[in-house]
Amino acid sequence: MIKHDVVVIGGGLAGMRAAVEAAEGGADVAIVSKMHPVRSHSGAAQGGINAALGNREDDSPKAHTFDTVKGSDYLGDQDAVAAMCEDAPGQIIWLEHRGCIFSRLPDGRIAQRPFGGAGSPRTCYSADVTGLVILHTLWEQLERFGVKVYEEYFCTALCVEDGIGTGVVAYNMRNGALELITAKATIFATGGAGRMYAKTTNGYASTADGFGIAYKAGIPLMDMEFMQFHPTTLKENGVLMTEGARGEGAYLLNALGERFMFKYAPNKGELASRDVVSRAEWTEILEGRGVDGCVLLDMRHLGREKILERLPQIRELALDATGKDAINEPIPILPGAHYTMGGIETDKWGATRIPGVYAAGECACVSVHGANRLGGNSLLETIVFGARSAKHAVNYIKSVGEVRPSERTLKAQQERVSGLLGRTSGTRSPILRRAMNATMSENTFIFRNEAGLRKAVDELSAVRKEFDASAYVMDKSTTFNTDLVTTLETDFLIDAALALAAGSLARTESRGAQARTDYPERDDANWLKHTLAWRNEQGPPRLDYSRAVTIADFAPEVRSY
Amino acid sequence: MAKITLDIFRFDEAVDVVPHRDAVVVDIPETTTVLDALETAKADVDGSISFRRSCRSAICGSCSMNINGITGLACKTPCNTVMDETGAIKIDPTPNFQPMKDLVVHMDPFWDKYARLKPYLQPSDSDSAHERERRVSPDDMKKLVDVANCVMCATCYALCPVVSVDPAFAGPAAIAYAYRFIEDVRDGQRKERIAQISEDYLWLCAHCYACSYCPKHVDPNDRIIDVKRAAIKDRVLMNERGPRHALVVTKWIKKVGMLHETELIAGTIGRFNVRGLLKVAPLGLRMAYKGKMPPMFLKPIPKVDEVRTIFDALEVPVS
Ligand SMILES: Cc1cc2nc3c(=O)[nH]c(=O)nc-3n(C[C@H](O)[C@H](O)[C@H](O)COP(=O)(O)OP(=O)(O)OC[C@H]3O[C@@H](n4cnc5c(N)ncnc54)[C@H](O)[C@@H]3O)c2cc1C
Ligand code: SF4
Ligand code: SF4
Ligand code: FES
Repeated sequence: MIKHDVVVIGGGLAGMRAAVEAAEGGADVAIVSKMHPVRSHSGAAQGGINAALGNREDDSPKAHTFDTVKGSDYLGDQDAVAAMCEDAPGQIIWLEHRGCIFSRLPDGRIAQRPFGGAGSPRTCYSADVTGLVILHTLWEQLERFGVKVYEEYFCTALCVEDGIGTGVVAYNMRNGALELITAKATIFATGGAGRMYAKTTNGYASTADGFGIAYKAGIPLMDMEFMQFHPTTLKENGVLMTEGARGEGAYLLNALGERFMFKYAPNKGELASRDVVSRAEWTEILEGRGVDGCVLLDMRHLGREKILERLPQIRELALDATGKDAINEPIPILPGAHYTMGGIETDKWGATRIPGVYAAGECACVSVHGANRLGGNSLLETIVFGARSAKHAVNYIKSVGEVRPSERTLKAQQERVSGLLGRTSGTRSPILRRAMNATMSENTFIFRNEAGLRKAVDELSAVRKEFDASAYVMDKSTTFNTDLVTTLETDFLIDAALALAAGSLARTESRGAQARTDYPERDDANWLKHTLAWRNEQGPPRLDYSRAVTIADFAPEVRSY
Repeated sequence: MAKITLDIFRFDEAVDVVPHRDAVVVDIPETTTVLDALETAKADVDGSISFRRSCRSAICGSCSMNINGITGLACKTPCNTVMDETGAIKIDPTPNFQPMKDLVVHMDPFWDKYARLKPYLQPSDSDSAHERERRVSPDDMKKLVDVANCVMCATCYALCPVVSVDPAFAGPAAIAYAYRFIEDVRDGQRKERIAQISEDYLWLCAHCYACSYCPKHVDPNDRIIDVKRAAIKDRVLMNERGPRHALVVTKWIKKVGMLHETELIAGTIGRFNVRGLLKVAPLGLRMAYKGKMPPMFLKPIPKVDEVRTIFDALEVPVS
């Protein structure tokens, strides 16, 4: 049995920031990660990270808080948002002191660029590799503090004894053994759930693991119906074409060659906010003005030089995936699932309802993003709440004596895995995923309505049943069994997808990323509250609305830009 | 759509003594990346095919493998750029690593090379002395950003012939990472870092340029030259064979316009290093026996002035 004071599940930005904080706080901390930390999807973030440093224009945490609350369509909890925005400058300076390679202003201070929904330029960046440089900085700190990393260990379950968290069970991918990892505090930092959808900017590993593990252990998922769809992703593989392309002046064209955005956003055109552009594109496609189910992102007029200088990475990504060179041809794109605003319910210290269990980063719902997150705020969330949850955990473990190792959870997981491996026929996970993806894309995408959402809940429930009855793993090997791992990931994805569909069906309003064609208006009188989805053995989750939105300085207003 | 045959290296270290190969046919658009072709093969044909992947957008560094004899990122390699006229693609694990399962290899030796660098910023003053960020000019930062594009995919490491003969060699990626700290104006350990990487056989790099095939354009080969220059500039471990060799080559080419082989040996090993010279003596005798003994004295080549102009134009002044 492995034993630590604090164990962090996930080696992305949130997980590593938590681990470094715990190590500096004197705790014996380890990371359990299904990939080497530098492989985490945080590395794919290009744009930047927000903080009111005021290096270019006067700025304040309060202004940052306001922009974030407004962006959240007033569903963000204002105490949590304020905490994040106040911690932001200090955390960026901390990263810089640890060696982070931020781009600079001529006077040597950290450079900042303007981003959507922000009142002033407050997004710190490093060329177009911001996520990668922060990821490397934090990995360097792991090396510095000698933090133990259980690399290529796949966490399958959370242990709870006498109502408190006591660690996790993880599957060692190198030798096929399930191991009990006992800890006084457990911090989930497992990233997003984009793989619920077929078309997503998220990598193959963003599979809702933390969501599913917490949910199965009796922690509610909050606000899962809010999924951000990014307007410019490649048809072939969902890879993101940064907003920077439109920032540099790229056009969006329909089949008739029209710059259609001006019909939907006469002032901002292509530069309207993400949800507006995604809805406009989808309307064009639904009304038959698409090109093979896409619209076109046209950069040709920017010219070779500008594309090579400012957008080299996306040109290369489009070329690799589509064979089309953006210099000579428009690139077919469509909206794709990008960011999971909902997640494991926590308070503003990252603490869940089970003492000793925390969540931080994209898998958590604090909630700072509410119904719609602003660009640059999620990298910030990983850093701020990674640190905050570890700080709380380090304090918490002082009050905990020894915790009881959960042999029974280990046994249950051994049965679960040997059950899956023992089956000699059944339905393989790619088939189950295709069924889940199909209903998610058809019924829970950009426009939603009651009939579709009902269908989604039913179809996902059927996928759930089929998974439980007949999920089949073809690979029986004990070495690096990714067939088994993708099957377990599918299990977690189905949980998250069901919570999303059920929450969306119940929420009879349109707010932020949720657009209900049958309820097109925001309804503050009835819906200024969070959705909590609890696991229910019998079927779709049990929904509960006992948690109201925390409103502090900013009363809800109409959100217009 | 095209029928593509993936000819895949198969091996499971837990049960197999020798690897075998499987041919899997998938029906996909030919512009599909090799990674997505493998995903299709795994989803539709054989769930046991194993490989690492995460981002599928050339940023996580997971999917380096050998594709038709060339190592690179599978997610950055469209099938139609590598398949032969029959539509076949041969896929193997990266060389210079121990296979674990199919295309998955043991990466630990690669990570160990980084750990030896003490790869974290070590400023000479304390952080608390700076209420705000340390100031760094945009140009000083830009140098580092170019190396920061490295996704630690180990493609360069797999391609390096020196790694294949001497696994103790730090390898291109780690040297490029050392450069990232050596050239960071905020770091206070420049000399110690140069010494460390020199001890990890910096000077063994043969400048073959194999590692210039870096999918992220980091060009580790050029960074290795930069680090060697830094070592000479800061006069770190100058008495080792590597820097001595480099300097004696330069000196004599500048002087006579060609390699001076006897001086090269004496200069690299050390003129007064009797034991070292005795060690190479048998080689000298064998060469003499075959009539290949290089001359003791060399006259400059006719247009040696032109050679010197090249040096004048290119040489970075060494203090
Ligand atoms: C293409 C793209 C671009 C983006 N650009 C920006 C941007 O410019 N600015 C911004 O603010 N945000 C951006 N975002 C969002 C932001 O990058 C993510 O929300 C954030 O990086 C998530 O970090 P994380 O630490 O929570 O998770 P991740 O970085 O996804 O890390 C998850 C970790 O958990 C581990 N893990 C998962 N499941 C398990 C398990 N079962 N067992 C063990 N380990 C597990 C994984 O190995 C991994 O180490 C972008 C997102 C995408 C997809
Ligand atoms: S230098 Fe290039 S090839 Fe080498 S590890 Fe880094 S990205 Fe890969
Ligand atoms: S240039 Fe040096 S490091 Fe690069 S592959 Fe050749 S020998 Fe290896
Ligand atoms: S899958 Fe990430 S680099 Fe290829």
